[in-house]
Amino acid sequence: MCLVVSIALFTLSCQSGGTGPLEAVRGAFQTVTSPVRSLGAAITAPVRGLGNIFSNLTADQATLSELQDEVDELRARNAELEEDASSAQRLQDLLDLRDTNDLQSVAARIISGSTDSWSSTVTLDKGSSSGLSAGMPVTTSSGVIGQIVSCSSTTSTVRLLSDESSSISAMVQSSRAQGMLTGSASGEVRLEMVSTSQEVTTGDVIVTSGLGGVFPKGLPIGEVVSVTNNPGDLYLDIFVELYADTSRSEEVLVITSLTEDQRASSDDIAEADAQERGGASTGDDDDSADDQAPNAGDGSDGSSDGTGE
Amino acid sequence: MQVANRNRKARATVVLAVLCLVLQLALAPNVALGNGRANFALVFTACFALAHGAARSTVVAGFLSGLLFDLSSTSPIGLMAFCLTATGYVLGQSAREQAVGDLASSVVSTAAASLAVALVYHLAMLLVGQTSSIIDALFLRALPTALLTLVAFLPFAYYFSRVRTHGPSLGGGRHSSGSLGGRGL
Repeated sequence: MCLVVSIALFTLSCQSGGTGPLEAVRGAFQTVTSPVRSLGAAITAPVRGLGNIFSNLTADQATLSELQDEVDELRARNAELEEDASSAQRLQDLLDLRDTNDLQSVAARIISGSTDSWSSTVTLDKGSSSGLSAGMPVTTSSGVIGQIVSCSSTTSTVRLLSDESSSISAMVQSSRAQGMLTGSASGEVRLEMVSTSQEVTTGDVIVTSGLGGVFPKGLPIGEVVSVTNNPGDLYLDIFVELYADTSRSEEVLVITSLTEDQRASSDDIAEADAQERGGASTGDDDDSADDQAPNAGDGSDGSSDGTGE
Repeated sequence: MQVANRNRKARATVVLAVLCLVLQLALAPNVALGNGRANFALVFTACFALAHGAARSTVVAGFLSGLLFDLSSTSPIGLMAFCLTATGYVLGQSAREQAVGDLASSVVSTAAASLAVALVYHLAMLLVGQTSSIIDALFLRALPTALLTLVAFLPFAYYFSRVRTHGPSLGGGRHSSGSLGGRGL
């Protein structure tokens, strides 16, 4: 009798497929017993890996090879996606910087470093055909890196702040002490022309002053790592560590023009002059102070490549 | 006295049924060997057959446990019920010939039943189109299922042979004490 009923149920089940009263009964049964299943899954979760080991042991070589290929492909894809995510984050940071400072700018990518051993430059993948020209400042999301010194139609060369011939106007953010940020052959960056009467301490943030009208006012550059006040000196000896690391930066913003708000105001210029006069009056050599006034402007190295103002 | 023994045996059967049902629902889906999973419905049928021998209730127990197995799975309803109905009958017949506490013979007969049920069940699934590969059906499903079912049966077999043989109510064969092991149910 039971055999007959079993065969009848089996036939009916095969004929009805996934519908019918038998499936309704099955659904009700599985609903009622679902808490037991869930409990079992929760209890066996810690040891379920053992079952996977058995499954792996019984997998054939073709399956394992296929899975290995899939793992390799996914690993490569994962690296690619991580790279894309990292690039997107850097671009987002640049966008944030542009929006925060209301910069008129063009995004570019660093495609190479310096090709010689005596200059610190990088090459961008955009040039005059993209509206770039010599003298334009270049920044990353973390800080200013330098200034374009030459342009071809498709590339631009940027002189880095650490270059020996680089010199831009900068100031200490907290005390508003004005100075000239200059590079050196050793790669060290110094803030010069800051009189000993100014208060500068280690950790102070250095930003662009906007004097000269090339760099917008207030862009971060770096922070003070050491300050030395030598007796008898007219100016402080200040070393600065740059925020931007061009060896790790890939995307940059080239600032193509400044708004009126981003230029140094007449008050800023007057303040710089007052600081300079104050610094000069404390020293003996007045002539040297006059020759290198902070408001001489960005890129005041007087180079003949057109980068100076 | 017989009433007391009968009640005790009924209680043991209910406990066994609930235990096997819980294990089938909670443990079997989570312990796999290849694609095979233990069949606690067959374990229950084998235990019931050992305890009750060749009784009508053994066949009915096989049918009901198989039906619950079918309801808990996604395969056609009635297939495992058919297999375990036949298994209950065969194991009941063989249990009648076994001595009480004969662990080896009960394990052997259950192993044979487990293998036969797994083969029939998976070949039937192959025929109804649930799987397309006979290699998969036989070697990755039927054999692991039979092996896991036998492993799952071993604790129960040990319990019946070593523990319950000292009690008055179990044992399915001609040497069992009292009247609970034979056709009397």
